[in-house]
Amino acid sequence: MIQSSVLSRRTFVRAGSLVALGLSLQNRVQAQGKSKAKSCILIWLDGGPSHLETFDLKPDAPAEVRGPFEAIQTKVTGTHICELLPNTAKIADKIALVRSMTSPLGEHGLANHYLLTGYKPSPVLQYPSLGSVVTEVRGGTQTLPPYTAIPDASTYMGAGYLGQARQPFALGGDPAKPDFKVRDLDFYPGVTSGRLERRREFVGQLDRFHEKGDSAMISDRAFEQAFRMVTSPEAKHAFDLNDEKPATRGNYGPRTVGQSCLLARRLVERGVSFVTVNNPGWDTHGDLVLRLKEGYAGAKVGEGLIPTFDLAFAALVSDLSDRGMLDETLVIAMGEFGRTPKVNTQKGRDHWPRAFSVALAGGGIRGGQVIGASDRVGESPADRPVTPGDLAATIFTILGLKPSHELHTSDGRPVAVNQGGEVIKELLA
Amino acid sequence: MSPQILLLLSVVGAEPVRPVDFDTEVVPVLTKAGCNAGSCHGAAAGRGGFHLSLFGSDAAADREAIVEELEGRRTNLARPSESLVLTKPTGILKHGGGERLDMDGEGAKRLLDWITLGASRSAKPRRLTSFEIQPGNTIVKKLGDEVALVATARFDDGPAENVTAWTVFTSTDTSAVEVTGNGKATIRRRGQHVVIARFLDRVVPIRLTLPFADMAIDLAKEPRANFIDNEILKTLEVLSIPVSSRADDAAFLRRIRLDLTGRLPTPEEVTLFLKDSSNEKRTKRIDELLASGEFVEYWTFKLANLVRNRPQPAEVEGMRAFHGWLRDSLKNSTPFDKFARDALTALGDSHTDGAAYFSRLSGDARSQAEHVSEVFLGVRLQCANCHNHPLDRWSQDDYHGLAAIFAKLERGRVVKVGIRGAITNPRSGDPAVPRIPGTKFLDASGDGRPAFAAWLTAADNPFFARAIVNRLWKAMFGTGMVEPVDDLRETNPATHPELLGRLAADFVKHGFNIRHTLRLISASNAYGRSADSLPANKDDERFYSHANRRPLDAAVLADALADVTGIADKFGEEPAGTRAISLINPLTPSRTLDVLGRCSRQASCESGAMNGGVAAMLHRLNGELINRKIESKEGRLHRMIAAGKSTEEILAEFYIRALGRSLTDAELQYWKSHAEKVKNEDRTTFLEDSVWGILNSREFWSNH
Repeated sequence: MIQSSVLSRRTFVRAGSLVALGLSLQNRVQAQGKSKAKSCILIWLDGGPSHLETFDLKPDAPAEVRGPFEAIQTKVTGTHICELLPNTAKIADKIALVRSMTSPLGEHGLANHYLLTGYKPSPVLQYPSLGSVVTEVRGGTQTLPPYTAIPDASTYMGAGYLGQARQPFALGGDPAKPDFKVRDLDFYPGVTSGRLERRREFVGQLDRFHEKGDSAMISDRAFEQAFRMVTSPEAKHAFDLNDEKPATRGNYGPRTVGQSCLLARRLVERGVSFVTVNNPGWDTHGDLVLRLKEGYAGAKVGEGLIPTFDLAFAALVSDLSDRGMLDETLVIAMGEFGRTPKVNTQKGRDHWPRAFSVALAGGGIRGGQVIGASDRVGESPADRPVTPGDLAATIFTILGLKPSHELHTSDGRPVAVNQGGEVIKELLA
Repeated sequence: MSPQILLLLSVVGAEPVRPVDFDTEVVPVLTKAGCNAGSCHGAAAGRGGFHLSLFGSDAAADREAIVEELEGRRTNLARPSESLVLTKPTGILKHGGGERLDMDGEGAKRLLDWITLGASRSAKPRRLTSFEIQPGNTIVKKLGDEVALVATARFDDGPAENVTAWTVFTSTDTSAVEVTGNGKATIRRRGQHVVIARFLDRVVPIRLTLPFADMAIDLAKEPRANFIDNEILKTLEVLSIPVSSRADDAAFLRRIRLDLTGRLPTPEEVTLFLKDSSNEKRTKRIDELLASGEFVEYWTFKLANLVRNRPQPAEVEGMRAFHGWLRDSLKNSTPFDKFARDALTALGDSHTDGAAYFSRLSGDARSQAEHVSEVFLGVRLQCANCHNHPLDRWSQDDYHGLAAIFAKLERGRVVKVGIRGAITNPRSGDPAVPRIPGTKFLDASGDGRPAFAAWLTAADNPFFARAIVNRLWKAMFGTGMVEPVDDLRETNPATHPELLGRLAADFVKHGFNIRHTLRLISASNAYGRSADSLPANKDDERFYSHANRRPLDAAVLADALADVTGIADKFGEEPAGTRAISLINPLTPSRTLDVLGRCSRQASCESGAMNGGVAAMLHRLNGELINRKIESKEGRLHRMIAAGKSTEEILAEFYIRALGRSLTDAELQYWKSHAEKVKNEDRTTFLEDSVWGILNSREFWSNH
């Protein structure tokens, strides 16, 4: 751009200063406002969880719609959810359900993008995920990476135009495994912190020689973040699940989703802004009972997707509540779309974005309510349709960001954090 | 004349009323009002029980839905103005989609007229013969300038008509160009932008350009090596972007070595090249590299990434045979059209006839249709699975018809054509008829693959050559003229459409020879430009005013680290010394490659991997990847120390190996001043840290 601003994207300050000049300053928000929620834990149900088997049961619908599971009463009178979610039912007073989510995008990639960024995909711009946006606006220089993904991050959880620095830190290991640890946090044998500091200085100088004011392939921020993590004992401690009481670990359930939620709680306790727990497998085109309830053929106790999610979700919300952290932590459970009201020939359901459900808790939202409804068969919103754009605007608002807040791409273009989304006022207390 | 028309005449006056043509006059009203968009009635499952074809692609079905369905409740022939199809969109009755038509507007009037005249559809509807937007591509002068777009349609029954009011205008980037419903486009940002105009089945891109600077620049004196430079400089002039200078020899050598052979130049190569004073040394080097075995090895890897060669569950033989076939194709300079035809039509034992394995890379006919269109057409056909592709010309018949071509394949170890195998076309419910997309149906009883392959590789096929040439371009420049490279469509125009066309035609003319086009690209001055930018072109990433800095592929990086440090990685069970780019199986166990973010080939390798970031950084700081290689006693550093080499010698060696150049004076000064302060017993750790610095510098990790 000819009309170069003083804060061009290419200026970096390294070695000693941990804040890069340039666009990051333009993206910083002065005051956060009176938001209560400091952090967000997003349990991403990858594949598109059936709303009709989780939070929006239709026991009175025709047999070909009903599905194989029954509805049960929750702690909130008049609200029913799936029988496979008994623990969640017990804490329904803390949970807000949105049953009228609606989107036109029924393909995984497009839908993932829409839910995880609040924007429909565009060829013109790579939009950043919710976590990237939140950490970009909040800034700050904590020891732990402010945006973390457990155990891994999907493509759509990336940083888009915000660049490498705002990619999530993917742990890469399964917290449920006994030998879980975040790799490479311990010093390489023989490399002391003094040497690490010298290495950091050498790289910085070499880059300055090479740079001549041009763009970075690998962000300084990732380097600085890694460096901070490595030289801090708290970082290692944060990832150590053995620090938790066995009873606590047991509450979350022994599976990946449960232990990941527990780890998410630990990270959030230590100031991490946004944690995504990736829970894949919900793309149930066939075998609802096997995949959602049993987990494996012949299972006596359900170990499928829903029971393991139920344990994790309920434990997380209760644990946060017990520790007095629930108001400050927004918890979201969602996937990219719902599933077809008519069960198909493979005893499964196919993609259905026109109506689906999302569950939220914490962050100061008003629990124990159901917002919106789908029609008799769960096919369309009957009332109060909510788009993923609306949801994103709401999430940002709860976390203290203004949906109209503008971020800047590397060539200086302003892009609003959310466009056209209407905040779901009923959620805010 | 029917009674209705007489009635209308008597009511309206002496105005002659031509029957309203449903296909060309009513459907555009629905499209313009958004009725048949994918988010409303044009969705695969319709809306509120009312389904229209997406953007009006099926007028016959649409008329049926409007007039006949549900006992005709949507259309009231006796009292036309009470028709639901009018009262809902005009807001008289509650409508989920809100008010889409102005009651007093032209659109509502047309609908009303059409219903009044019987809501019929001609047996031979009017046909659109041409559709044009004026002005065509335009260059404006300043921010806020407006361009008034006028759409003109010609039908087979009369003179040209102004159809601007019924054309849907969309800006691909609303922050750059705003466009109103009647075609007024306002430019809000500098650069090259696109507005899409849609009318009936035509989708036309219009390029609106506002140069990046007000002052014109003159690039006439810039040297041109071939037509690539002519086209690139032409565009840069239009956009007022100045060009950076030529890359120096060291930078050029490192770049061309990485791009053509996936490895760094050796110290001997660097020294020889820098000493060579001949004018043609760059083109000579290019030719040598293109003729080398290392080129074959590296581009086999790239080809394997493109087609996504990977193993079957518990079977690797087919993948290996296929890899061999890929390598042979490159070694023997098999023309790429023959390569494609062979891959598409091969049958037989995939363990011995590698080409047959291509079909086994897809689990079923539909995935194969998507695979084939992605790889060879550069087109994302998937959208047309459930409805006609909204942004392009592909229909459901095209998608399912292409899948039908592959439906009879049996994909066991021995690939053969069976007797049974059909794809159900969800639109008709019947078996899909094999179809060459966008072209013609084939005989359902035979094997349609040879016909498809012949169509694909014909000299005038508009996709094949452009798709592959665009990928070659991206491999050399870091960005394609069309991005993403598997999303070629009318509504996603190239940054340099004329150049892409010329390069494709040239590729075809020279026997679809990959080396030929790579040579052309490598020899251009555009390719040989420095990566150092000027203040006035530093934000350019698409117009080649300077070379782009690009990340290295994970495999190339792994090999580079091994070469520089002298310590190779062990990849799974492969013999020691196997290079990462030579690995056949993309899932070969390797922590190094995982950390560096390799592509597993489960999906396209074009999209950026989730590599880098903090996890990779942690591994570089504390992990084995670099540390082990530096401190190994068998590694280059420790061997040089043991041999008594001086600090200057050691640094010079690592500079020339890793960065392809010698130290600058400033760098010599810098290292000297640090080395002086180091005690003798700490010299080794100092050198380890220096080398670590070099191997973690941006200069090493990128291609520039």
